[in-house]
Amino acid sequence: MASLLWLQGGACSGNTMSFLNAEEPSAVDLVTDFGINILWHPSLGMQLGDELKALLNDLVSGAKPLDIFVFEGTVVNAPGGTGEWNRFAGKPMKDWVRLLSGVAQFVVAIGDCATWGGIPAMAPNPSESSGLQFLKKAKGGFLGGGFTAKSGLPVINIPGCPAHPDWVTQVLVAVASGRTADIGLDELQRPKTSFTSFTQTGCTRNLQFAYKVSTTEFGQRKGCLFYDLGCRGPMTHSPCNRILWNRQSSKTRSGMPCLGCTEPEFPFYDLAPGTVFKTQTVMGVPRDMPEDTSKPNYIRLTAVAKASAPQWVENDMFVV
Amino acid sequence: MAIAPAPPTQTIDISPVGRVEGDLDVRVDIANGVVVDAWTQAELFRGFEVILRGKDPQAGLVVTPRACGICGASHLTCAAWALDTAWGTTVPRNAIMARNLGQIVESLQSIPRHHYGLFMIDATNKNYAKSPFYAEAVRRYAPFTGAHYEVGISMSGRPVEIYALLGGQWPHSSFMVPGGVMCAPTLSDMTRATAILEYFRKNWIESMWLGCTLERFEQVKTYDDFMAWLDEKPEHRDSDLGFYWRMGLDIKLDTYGKGIGKYITWGYLPHEDKYQHPTIDGRNAALIMKSGVFDGAANSFKLMEQGFTREDMKHAWYDEEAIVHPYDRTTAPRQKNDIDFEKKYSWSTAVLHEQNGRLEAGPLARQLVAGGPHGESWQWKDPLVLDMYRSMGGASVLLRHFARMHEVIKLYREAERNVREFKLNDPWYVKPVEKDGRGWGATEAIRGALAHWIEIKDGKIKNYQIVAPTTWNVGPRSSIEDRGPMEEALIGTPIANLHDPVEVGHVARSYDSCLVCTVHAHDAKTGAELARFRTA
Repeated sequence: MASLLWLQGGACSGNTMSFLNAEEPSAVDLVTDFGINILWHPSLGMQLGDELKALLNDLVSGAKPLDIFVFEGTVVNAPGGTGEWNRFAGKPMKDWVRLLSGVAQFVVAIGDCATWGGIPAMAPNPSESSGLQFLKKAKGGFLGGGFTAKSGLPVINIPGCPAHPDWVTQVLVAVASGRTADIGLDELQRPKTSFTSFTQTGCTRNLQFAYKVSTTEFGQRKGCLFYDLGCRGPMTHSPCNRILWNRQSSKTRSGMPCLGCTEPEFPFYDLAPGTVFKTQTVMGVPRDMPEDTSKPNYIRLTAVAKASAPQWVENDMFVV
Repeated sequence: MAIAPAPPTQTIDISPVGRVEGDLDVRVDIANGVVVDAWTQAELFRGFEVILRGKDPQAGLVVTPRACGICGASHLTCAAWALDTAWGTTVPRNAIMARNLGQIVESLQSIPRHHYGLFMIDATNKNYAKSPFYAEAVRRYAPFTGAHYEVGISMSGRPVEIYALLGGQWPHSSFMVPGGVMCAPTLSDMTRATAILEYFRKNWIESMWLGCTLERFEQVKTYDDFMAWLDEKPEHRDSDLGFYWRMGLDIKLDTYGKGIGKYITWGYLPHEDKYQHPTIDGRNAALIMKSGVFDGAANSFKLMEQGFTREDMKHAWYDEEAIVHPYDRTTAPRQKNDIDFEKKYSWSTAVLHEQNGRLEAGPLARQLVAGGPHGESWQWKDPLVLDMYRSMGGASVLLRHFARMHEVIKLYREAERNVREFKLNDPWYVKPVEKDGRGWGATEAIRGALAHWIEIKDGKIKNYQIVAPTTWNVGPRSSIEDRGPMEEALIGTPIANLHDPVEVGHVARSYDSCLVCTVHAHDAKTGAELARFRTA
């Protein structure tokens, strides 16, 4: 049995919507089979107004224990650090976040907004948004770099825009079932089990990637999206091609370049003119290369790969 | 003659009204247990329009779906069509249908998710314990444990599996791009899509929602037909639709939530053979589901044009001209957002039609317009909701939510048709040439009229503006001090328990307002020149 409170700051509800797509277990299973007691959620809760305020006050005072505090969306600090641009239940949401983070056993940031600041924190960051313990790549964020929840763990970051429901449910179940020792976090405080492999791991275009065959424009049935269309699959940590989306597919499988949304720099290059769905190159070589690949090695590998590419690799692969 | 003293007025602030997506604060004044005045306040500002300024022209394809995780496909649709009209692209037939299908399956997802996850759980509120329907409502709809709640939530995830086949994932794909779509689905994708639709029809629409076949319900054209259908069989009466209607009448959801009685829809779903060279002016004649403005009192119908749109900032936290067209907005958020009901009290602007003033957006608006005689002869016609509106004396919570649910049948049919009509070996994308200019893209999100305006200059975004359905519906007073649609709909709402005003929630939920959308829709930057409106 574990109690859970879920609040949203500068959010779009995308992580909630994604969470409700969960299958094994489903959001309902979490309650009925795994004993997670959802105290309140903005889209699922019953209480209105005063009853909710009473609940929040009981949690803050310790009258009711809070095991898991889930936060979705950015912490809005505007204007001028007051947080008045995002008020909730009678006060700035950021004040609730501070109070509730102080009493929760575990604090879980869901989605890019809560982890790194996401799209709202993109320049010029008009809402002065921050993630819970990071602002983009910089550790600190709203709660500060030294923050730990009562359990001793820092904020557990489950990034993605949105996060896949399975990335969320496995952490919630681990906490509720006493398996927290199995949650290993990487240097960005992401669960290693989800964020060690690359988005490219399991992509259906890996042969085309290996032989440097490009999908030159959208709507094609061949090639790899990395060379022209700006795909970040080789540089992004996520299991998108291991644990498929909506049980069916992934962006790269369907023909959409990975935007790198589980990394703190998303959206990359701040979507400056000329950077959207276009691979950034320097003298014909991709500016961003697969992790730990040197430019000379990349160039050598390209020459060998192109020279040894079999004929079929240029053909349509995902045919009718 | 003695004058009766005015009844005491009690004021309650309800913050937040949960289960509308985002932060909506509602203040209502109550006299004798009835709402006599109301103010709706959007309490979150993120500034997407400000963020988009100076970015790549295509940045809206990445950013705006993230304005709303519930209506992301609708935002993506608007963002793509806005660029198409600005760049003068060619959009192939397959791509038009793929965009439509993406949008439709998002709505098919939302229909049960909203009904079970958000709307019906209020029927289990203890305030209704005396209703003869209460025990059954608890059995079906209690959060998490209700027999139908669980089915409804898990079923709602199925339609968007088709979105994943097209765009890789739902929510938050960007697979619609100027000139078409990114994907080129295969035969196996079509097979899966067909199977998913069939599953949804058999296991929810027909078995649980209607208690009859689609074909049987498609014969229901009038209010009398509907009541006859209800009485025809126990399966109809006991279906979730039948139960909704009967309990709704018992708890009097037909008696409040009327609203302003004027409606807007942009229309949506451009026909695959009629919008391959998209222009702003050519859109109305290309839509499967037509646009329109319906004035209930005057019983008049006409087409809706983007040029009629105005945003009124008198009572919204922006330092801008009081009334402007979205192309002329500067999105200058006021730094100090103090709540002052005489002055400014919301991040939502008051959206107006230049000639018709405040309008209600949403599925009810779409269904009423679908009954009108205007538009093209081949466009969808459906007289049912208009007939119910007339027979029942106007709108109500009951009818507004019914209209939302009623759309499931038409959307299902159109999804089926799209899957059947794709010509898999034809093009999905025609690479466009980028250029400067103005564009406009619109659609109907499940919760109503959504539009994006873009101006591109020197190869980057000069101005990007979003007007969401919730902006239409939860806007504050306008310059002439008239109430916004939801504010007006709250008037007359009976409140049985001041400490648990579930009725206010019903009204809010019947609009399915997504404050998140609203908030994203209006954004930031200060302009000193506009400070004169501070004293407005």
